[in-house]
Amino acid sequence: MPAIEVKELHRTYRSSKGLVRRRRTEVQALGGISFEVEQGELFGLLGPNGAGKTTTIKILTTLLLPSSGTARVLGFDPAREPGEIRRRIGHVFGGDRGLYDRLSALDNLKYFADLYRVPVRDKRRRIAELLELVGLTGRERERVETYSRGMRQRLHIARGLLHDPEILFLDEPTIGLDPVGAREVRETIAGLRDQGKTILLTTHYMYEADELCERIAVIAGGVFVASGTPAELKARVVDRTVIEIETFGLAGSVVDRLRTLAGVASVSTETRDQSEMLLVQSRVGAGLVQALLRELDGINVGKVIAREPTLEDAYVELVQPA
Amino acid sequence: MTRAFLSGMWIHVVQFSRNPFDLSGVILWPILYASIAYYLLDARNDPRLLLGASLGAAVMLMWSLVVIGSSNALENQRWLGTLELLVAAPVPFAVVIAPITVASGVVGGYALVATLAWGTLLFHVPLSIDQPVAFAVAVPACMLAIGMLGLVMASTFVLYRAAFSLGIALQYPVWIATGLLVPLSVLPTFVGRIGWFLGPYWGFRAIREAALGPTPWPDIGMCLVVSAAYFAVGATCLRWFVRVARSRGTLKLT
Repeated sequence: MPAIEVKELHRTYRSSKGLVRRRRTEVQALGGISFEVEQGELFGLLGPNGAGKTTTIKILTTLLLPSSGTARVLGFDPAREPGEIRRRIGHVFGGDRGLYDRLSALDNLKYFADLYRVPVRDKRRRIAELLELVGLTGRERERVETYSRGMRQRLHIARGLLHDPEILFLDEPTIGLDPVGAREVRETIAGLRDQGKTILLTTHYMYEADELCERIAVIAGGVFVASGTPAELKARVVDRTVIEIETFGLAGSVVDRLRTLAGVASVSTETRDQSEMLLVQSRVGAGLVQALLRELDGINVGKVIAREPTLEDAYVELVQPA
Repeated sequence: MTRAFLSGMWIHVVQFSRNPFDLSGVILWPILYASIAYYLLDARNDPRLLLGASLGAAVMLMWSLVVIGSSNALENQRWLGTLELLVAAPVPFAVVIAPITVASGVVGGYALVATLAWGTLLFHVPLSIDQPVAFAVAVPACMLAIGMLGLVMASTFVLYRAAFSLGIALQYPVWIATGLLVPLSVLPTFVGRIGWFLGPYWGFRAIREAALGPTPWPDIGMCLVVSAAYFAVGATCLRWFVRVARSRGTLKLT
């Protein structure tokens, strides 16, 4: 039996505005996704902001009801049997919310241990083990409001593991962390994966999914656009070349014009400190550099590099049309 | 579940005590309410009336602290991002939320004692309690009845984001319907009938009867009866409202 089974899951959010003439709006967050996660697997849901990752996690962790479709977590239905699921899963979300700031880390963990029915005889030992695991031993009596974002995130993970859940849901656990903090959190997750814990991880960082996940599903606009191992996803763009052009004062209309050039597969931009980096994907041997530079006539251009595609390029290629 | 309840109560009292603004209010309000009993009700020449008025003012404060404290605490859960985690806990949601309202009741119990103490200290309110044992039972019974009414109201706070505003709005109607603000004898009869369904009405009667009257125990019993009824209603409402919030996707919203 798979640990998680999702079939044709839909979710639409409805809201209304106005006191007298109420205007109703609908936003489709999930447009029918299906996937399975095996026991002991670390499965990644990858996608940009608003893709539907968090909505999927909320449904699976019993916090949100689906509009249609079915889901099973350890064989239980999150909509109808939330109690059975809640005692078997852990839920950790990113960001610095979700903790009692004015209390110490120890008080936070003690409270959640009681809420998650950790036996009294195990509570002290379990909290000590988890503080050690997330590297907060010695800091547990300090108020959470004095913690750095990275420390809060690691405390979140400790909280999610208090009752030794069979499945751990990690919703963008490294969001907003500095590189060192993010690396520490990734090391903690890798440790849990090596222990055989089933983990569903959502992230919008390709390298994070590549480093940690055994399989990845790329989600955009509420639907899956690709799934497979990191190597399989990368193979989708193996016949491509990426041309990086550093520009200064790049206009949106120019980018649109570049997209229409023959041989161009995709165009994306990244804003740097003083410049915009133009990333153009094309077939190997298309020889587009001169044509691109002609189109950029009148715009200050810095360095130009042609290179092999990375996994991140595969991701950009997948989510861009959505 | 008992452990989750007691732990929740402790955590929320500690959380409350670490907010200097809330704490200063709890210290200053009893002085204000003791002054209301003395000056506004003009009870200074009748010692027993003065004690009755002080008890009424103290229960008014207790209700205010519970309704404002629990609505504030619930709204805080949204701001802290902990509401979803509390809903996702495997213990029944009523067992998670009830400690928040009862913790406010405990703070309210302290405020009751402080109001009476300030009244005695500043305005020479005579603290002559007719039945001390019954009084010692009536105070926690009143705290429980008020806390459980807070639980019923907290269920709506789970559904609506503007919990604090709702809490403020609920202060006066309960003061009026329970006869704490003005005697029920000067109000239309139906107002008193509404009071029968409210915990503070029986809580105030129990405390007043223990201090001044001959028969506090029936009112103490009624406090326990309405508390049990409130818990049942509150737990049902919470289950239903959490289901609605899960359907609408509003648990995360601030």
